[in-house]
Amino acid sequence: MPEIFINGQSVQAEPNQTVIEAAVANGIEMAYFCWHPQLSIAGNCRICAIQVEGRSWVEIACNMPVSEGLRVQTDSELVNEYRKSVMQLLTLNHPVDCGICDKAGECKLQDYHFQYNGAPSLSRDPKLRLTKFHPLSERIVLDNERCILCSRCVRFTHEVSKSKSLGITKRGDASVVRATEDGSFNDDPYSDNVIDLCPVGALLSRSFFYKSRVWYLQPTPSVCPRCARGCTVQLWHRKPEWKLNALDARHNVSIERVTPLENAAVNGPWICNVGRDLGSFFERPRAEQAMTNGSPVDLPLAIEHARRLIESAKRPIALLSNWGSNEELDAFERALGARFEAFYKIDRVPEPGEVVEDDLLIRADKNPNTAAARTRFAPFEGDAALDDATDLLLVWGEGLDFTRVPRGAQVILLGAWLHTDNAQADVFIPISIQTERRGHYTNFEGVVSAFELCVAKKATVADAEALFAALAAPPGSK
Amino acid sequence: MKNTKLLMTFPVTATSHAMADYRARGGYAALQKALLQMTPQQVTAEVSASGIQGRGGAAFPAGRKWGVVNLNDGQPHYLCANADEGEPGTFKDRWILEHAPHLLLESMLIAAYALQVRNAFVYIRGEFDLPYRRLAAALDEAYREGYAGERILGTEFSCDIVIYRGAGSYVCGEASALITSIEGKRGYPRNRPPRLTVRGLYKRPTVINNVETLSNIAWIITHGGAAFKNVGTEKNPGTRLISISGHINRPGVYEIEIGYPWAKFIYEDCGGIPGGRALKGIIPGGISTKVLTAAEIEPLHLDDKELNAAGSSLGSGGMIIIAEGTCMVRLLQVLLRFYHHESCGQCTPCREGMGWLHRIIDRIVAGEGRPEDIDRLYQISAWNDGTTICGMGDAAGYATSGILNKFRDEFEHYIAHKRSRCGGNLECLRSS
Repeated sequence: MPEIFINGQSVQAEPNQTVIEAAVANGIEMAYFCWHPQLSIAGNCRICAIQVEGRSWVEIACNMPVSEGLRVQTDSELVNEYRKSVMQLLTLNHPVDCGICDKAGECKLQDYHFQYNGAPSLSRDPKLRLTKFHPLSERIVLDNERCILCSRCVRFTHEVSKSKSLGITKRGDASVVRATEDGSFNDDPYSDNVIDLCPVGALLSRSFFYKSRVWYLQPTPSVCPRCARGCTVQLWHRKPEWKLNALDARHNVSIERVTPLENAAVNGPWICNVGRDLGSFFERPRAEQAMTNGSPVDLPLAIEHARRLIESAKRPIALLSNWGSNEELDAFERALGARFEAFYKIDRVPEPGEVVEDDLLIRADKNPNTAAARTRFAPFEGDAALDDATDLLLVWGEGLDFTRVPRGAQVILLGAWLHTDNAQADVFIPISIQTERRGHYTNFEGVVSAFELCVAKKATVADAEALFAALAAPPGSK
Repeated sequence: MKNTKLLMTFPVTATSHAMADYRARGGYAALQKALLQMTPQQVTAEVSASGIQGRGGAAFPAGRKWGVVNLNDGQPHYLCANADEGEPGTFKDRWILEHAPHLLLESMLIAAYALQVRNAFVYIRGEFDLPYRRLAAALDEAYREGYAGERILGTEFSCDIVIYRGAGSYVCGEASALITSIEGKRGYPRNRPPRLTVRGLYKRPTVINNVETLSNIAWIITHGGAAFKNVGTEKNPGTRLISISGHINRPGVYEIEIGYPWAKFIYEDCGGIPGGRALKGIIPGGISTKVLTAAEIEPLHLDDKELNAAGSSLGSGGMIIIAEGTCMVRLLQVLLRFYHHESCGQCTPCREGMGWLHRIIDRIVAGEGRPEDIDRLYQISAWNDGTTICGMGDAAGYATSGILNKFRDEFEHYIAHKRSRCGGNLECLRSS
């Protein structure tokens, strides 16, 4: 364990660390653009300059191995001056169009300008013109004038996603990031990570393009339910104090964007593009009206109807959702586990064109909580479990083909999404979705992650956890 | 003053580059001697003893570079000859490749033996056409005669040489960019550490030497390191190939012994300056070395020690003579246009700085300069000094600050009067 000194402060470093790694691991502030803990060292931005005590020149911290007793300064006069010069050079041809840039507010270039430079540009010459709005892929737009050529995105596609679909072409200050001509960047299921990696506003998400200033949004920790990996994510939605009254009110409740929530135990700093699209996934048309035999009724009436069905059933079977949280599955077991013969079913299977499985994150099981369901209930093996004696079927969630319901069986359906099957059920009770409640999922490796509430559910919609307790009560009770 | 020649020892004829003529001059005897009578360690020791310094510009002792490679580390080692001669003003390696390609190949094979290299590379600049054809033909001859390939001269030593053509990038002449280019990647220089002799081509220890440096190895093995040390000066033994261009009556490649008087070289050997004009200054070793005025250079000898003391260096031996009547503002514009065009764009100070320097000098030449522009040129040069991944940023800075230091009054005059004091022509008008 070599001991090094950063600004005189003693730091215990790992033997193979670089100075920047040791500093970051010990909470010492370091400026960096091109360095990233998960990517190889590029050493091209030069902003992480440090000065070894006793030397009269600056070096870069990202490429300096630690050695016993190494003493470096991150804020000597020389380093400060040099960092200013790097900021001058980086902003030389940068358009500084923060006013219309989606990255503004979380841009390293902005932050470092205020922190380390603050001076106006020394240049009086016109800025270079490069491509604006270059379609890097169907999902990503590139603004070459904002790009500082840190090469993080290029290294990501070579080292992490392995699609090798980005590169830098041309030379000098005409250098531009471009995708390979075979269009393989479109097929990179992790491509949107380069938007987060980009330290400036060069790589822009089409789905978030000009949608909101980031300071109007707040991130809510959540778990991506689209596969058994259960990547932890942040769902960004509008802060209540910035509630829109005049414009499209949908923006007050919608998930405007999804970013990874770094989690070494599950997904590291990455998520796949399917997770990025959770916003539109959660915005599918919702079922918000309770029904009995296809006719709209108030929620309490539907619950009362369901209670009577449960009470009178001789052979009730429950098909439970592997999209239910750990708490909801427990609630069912506690409230209705004795009354029903319960199985868990597979709610979702891979969609056409979706990447089924790879060796980075994506899992073939496209459901979030199969691992937890499996420890509590038996799997639903198909028609064998549904015999003609079945007279009540409680179906929770998507994925059941209604033609498989035994004749003579009555159906209580708990669903969140609008579907023609909803009207076929004897009782349909709308339930909340993940963004409307709190809970935990257990991923395929047994790691339990929490998701938090983003927006409150509507009053006409039930929470499954409370619903199971209500259904267990005898008919007529409050 | 003696002027020993080690490389240009034969008259150039229509066949002097071919195998038959080379062998008639005693060629491949050094390879035979090294392979049959010496151990690899002895070869390296001989090269160290010769004290030969790198001829590519950095003047790093070749023996020390070789000595870093551990022959018993169980890894493959690589050797690259740097024939990507791109420094403006420098065309000395071209002479070797055109007229003595076998000298390079023989020396490379000796070096490969010393470093236990199975695969060696020549990275030759793409614009070199005749040199490439001559070298490729020579390599064919060497394979045919059993000097390259499997079991050379019947010994256990085998070595293949691959000629790799560059695609026209100046930066690929930098050692780490060169190997990155050989690996098939974009020719970006790499950060040090690690040094290339520790982790270079294909992540293995790699020695990269200039063509001229390597070409001296055959002579050193034939005559011994001690004999080499008797040539040139004590600190800097051997000879240098000087490629001289600019305002000079007989431009071309000359071999001079290190320590040769500069004035004698220019005014006698090279025939002086055309039209009898006065000397204004010289760029002594490729445009990346600092310009020296006539008064500074005339008393000196061609030796790195003296030139370093004068604030410049012999660099890559590409000497450019500048006669009176040349506009230094326009000259700097030409240099900066080159650096801007050739900056690879990897690291910030050079990528942005070169373009900035170029735009400022363009503006000055167009008559729109401002007094603070001179300070800005200095400042950008300083920002590139020792802060970039490779030496190109430094080099451009040296060239800029070198010219500004010596000829600042011309820049001030140009900015104030929107025209050159020298008539505004870069090329000197012929007086005849």
